[in-house]
Amino acid sequence: MNDRRDTIELGADVTQAWFTPSADRRSLLDRAHRGDIVGALGRVSSADAGPRPLYRRRIAALLAIMGPGVIVLVADNDAGGISTYAQVGQDYGLRFLWLLVVMAGVLLVNQEMVGRLGAVTGAGHARLIYERFGRRWGAFALGDLLTVNFLVIVTEFIGIALALGYFGVSRYISVPLAALVLIALPLAGRFRRWERAMYLLVATSFVAVPLLVLAYHPTPLPPVPAGPRHLAPESTVFMVIALIGTTVAPWQLFFQQSNVVDKRITARWLRYELADTVTGTLLFTLGAVAILVACALAFAAAPFHGAFVDASTVAGELRNQAGQWAGALFAVALLNGSILGAGAVTLSASYAIGDVTGTKHSLHRSWRDAPKFHGSYAAIVVLAAAIVLIPKAPLGIVTTGVQALAGVLLPSALVFLLLLCNDRAVLGPWVNARWLNVIAATVVAVLLVLSGLLTISTLFPHAENNWLVTAILVISAGVLGALFGLRLSSQNVASPAGRHLPGKPVWTMPPIETLPPPARSTTRTIALVVLRAYLLLAVLAVVIKIVGLIAAS
Amino acid sequence: MRQSSPGHAAGEPHLSEAVAERLADVMFALSTPSRVLILGCLLEGPRSVGDLTSILSMEQSSVSHQLRVLREHTLVRAERVGRQRVYALYDEHVVTLLRAGLRHVEGRGQPTASDSARPVLGDRAAGLPAG
Repeated sequence: MNDRRDTIELGADVTQAWFTPSADRRSLLDRAHRGDIVGALGRVSSADAGPRPLYRRRIAALLAIMGPGVIVLVADNDAGGISTYAQVGQDYGLRFLWLLVVMAGVLLVNQEMVGRLGAVTGAGHARLIYERFGRRWGAFALGDLLTVNFLVIVTEFIGIALALGYFGVSRYISVPLAALVLIALPLAGRFRRWERAMYLLVATSFVAVPLLVLAYHPTPLPPVPAGPRHLAPESTVFMVIALIGTTVAPWQLFFQQSNVVDKRITARWLRYELADTVTGTLLFTLGAVAILVACALAFAAAPFHGAFVDASTVAGELRNQAGQWAGALFAVALLNGSILGAGAVTLSASYAIGDVTGTKHSLHRSWRDAPKFHGSYAAIVVLAAAIVLIPKAPLGIVTTGVQALAGVLLPSALVFLLLLCNDRAVLGPWVNARWLNVIAATVVAVLLVLSGLLTISTLFPHAENNWLVTAILVISAGVLGALFGLRLSSQNVASPAGRHLPGKPVWTMPPIETLPPPARSTTRTIALVVLRAYLLLAVLAVVIKIVGLIAAS
Repeated sequence: MRQSSPGHAAGEPHLSEAVAERLADVMFALSTPSRVLILGCLLEGPRSVGDLTSILSMEQSSVSHQLRVLREHTLVRAERVGRQRVYALYDEHVVTLLRAGLRHVEGRGQPTASDSARPVLGDRAAGLPAG
């Protein structure tokens, strides 16, 4: 009834909207990426292009579209994330709480950009890199993504084994069981069912909040005369960098872009997708802050202060400090985060493989319909689970390797992201605004320096590393980055006008293979040269380290 | 159920949903001009990636990529001839499909008894606001 009245009142607008072409994306690789949005909490027709004057209908659309941003950002609080927040809280109290809030801002900026790329282009992140930066960079980005993803999934299984080990379950039962659950989740080929399962995990992640409440009233303890451990400043720098490294990971970029494409979100729904990403960022912050603060409060006056070992010892110590429930809740949070993380990270790899090889890759397709998509997903899960089950597997090396490799990959992924978001052929009127470029370029430059430091300090744990040098490097990188961001925008002369073009909501990228080759600009060249130099240094560091290890043995 | 699609109202479908899905997948592979151009080239006989690249003056990477998509949708198959890898149309059905498609866009098709596509299009065009 309401709909009919709107049509009468806004007759002219509605008629016009109905006849505007829908924002159909022309570079899709899979027919399943086209059609109605079938979200966990609602449905939006692909023919729905009219305005939404009623708040009720806007909220209904938001509920249907919400998903990719919420899932990717809550999945960021995975095994690695939770252990790192717990470690920071236990060892440093509330000293680095501010850093989590800064990281939330960084995540929001990055994830908004990939969401926009997905909705406007309909192509996955890996394919955009292949098409716009050539085969070598594409193969490099894909190879690095797959390697790091694999190692991250191994850490998720370690998290699962530790969490269920707290409840006395053997890892030979818990890990295969978790692998089966993970493989079964997308198997049916129902996007809605998969998203509902993910939402269940997202909802369970809120156990971190009661954990915080429990930790706030720890059972009083007799004072322990243990001498305070003095943490060396270089380990603090390492800690900060590791926190950033686990929070901002490249798989998130690939995951959200492909998931937006797969969920059939078009440019017409970009505002809703932004709301999705903002909601996800808030949930991420809530979960991460709750874990960090809970551990900070529980261990504030305890002998364990400054003595982090690993996530399972945190659970045991929480039980001693804040009661049985606190230990159990932490273990549940760890288990839940590990499963959610493993699901999302594996999927980002399978999406990327399908994206590059042109095979069907969609959660709308069943096992029978897209065997390579589900097959690659299952293979990655099984292989990662098997590694955790090998007796005496060097799992410590895996964890270190994740951080070092993530350090190498992350800045390169962000450089590509920033350049793609300023590519007029790709995003048309949707290219980055000037202010966004300044923020994003500053973030990329700072992360480039920090990841470089992370790589160096992972490889050379005894290297000289102090606050002053770090601060000077970070600030100068930030200033250079901001200038670079301004320069990026000045090349998009039409940018301010383009933001209000009448056809903007329905602008989509032409078929990707028909695009003109990217314009050769100095900014682009500078970015790629800096990236090459950075990668060369990182590789050099790795080689020196390996040579050193061989020489020592 | 705000907007029911016209297809459901008009006549009982003779295809099962699963078959319709598969057919739509095949047609999806034909929904990009560059892939149609490649198929058009293969209509004249098997070609290597290099041949296709030079005939169509497309980038080699995009030719390879589109060929992978066409293979995934069983429109094209790869063969080895000596040391070279050539691509050919998957079977004679694909040849027929493409030939029929070409005749259709050239307007040489014979009208069938229930041909009602044109009047519907005409109505929609008339309903568009002027300008």
